[in-house]
Amino acid sequence: MQQITPSPQPENLDAVFAALADPTRRAILTQLANGDASVSELAEPFRMSQPAVSKHLKVLERAGLVERTTDKQRRPARLKAEPMQEAVKWLEEFSRFWSSSFDQLDDLLEELKKSES
Amino acid sequence: MSELPTYVLERTFNAPRELVWRTWTEPDLISRWYGPNVESIPHKMDVEHGGLWLHEMKWGENSNYQRAQYVEISKPEKLVWLHSNANERWEVTINPQMPNWPRILLTTVTFETDGEQTKLRLTWVPFEATDAEIACFQDAISGMNKGWNAGMALLEELLAELQGEMQA
Repeated sequence: MQQITPSPQPENLDAVFAALADPTRRAILTQLANGDASVSELAEPFRMSQPAVSKHLKVLERAGLVERTTDKQRRPARLKAEPMQEAVKWLEEFSRFWSSSFDQLDDLLEELKKSES
Repeated sequence: MSELPTYVLERTFNAPRELVWRTWTEPDLISRWYGPNVESIPHKMDVEHGGLWLHEMKWGENSNYQRAQYVEISKPEKLVWLHSNANERWEVTINPQMPNWPRILLTTVTFETDGEQTKLRLTWVPFEATDAEIACFQDAISGMNKGWNAGMALLEELLAELQGEMQA
């Protein structure tokens, strides 16, 4: 169930979901997992303009998934994994609630069938 | 008005429909399966049109309260209710972790006989929701349905990789 969230969750989860919903942004995150990268370095493999990459980076930054370091020449982007981990956890809990409940229901139904027969 | 985002969950149970119906509508039975690894307590369960189902889930020192109001009961085929998060006074509240999560979800459960089995279909649709709530729900679903599993696999890979790098 959506409300069962025993662990504290970030407030910007909506932003995280929105940020991760885009394949280009997920690819940017994968690339950043290999190390910090500047906008021009990120733009290369995607054959995208630098402004387009900057736009995606801003979305990721707002979601707290990426930070821009203060290196004035390049301002390389750096991956921040924590909010992502929270989003993954939250979604896992969400779907786990019902699937685990249904597992329990399976067992209960078996028990009830036995006691009825 | 465009179509509202709908979350669908399906499962087949190896039991006759009447029995499955009972597990959803009798407090003594629902408390035995609803909510994993929690103490599951139905405080009220009036399975009738307009009736309330007030449910508490306890784990450790925490409690979660859910308030549901039945809007359709077609025994043994269909159950429909308005589902909300509640406070300890059973008043509808927002989800503190997800402020834009729909306050009310129209929840429909259908039970369909399939030989000796029962096909169950559960759907959630935002009810009287704001645009922000609908967008939030849409995001969560689209993330979960299309490509989210792929996305999750990717993220797990990513995180494992990161952890590897941190250890290196």
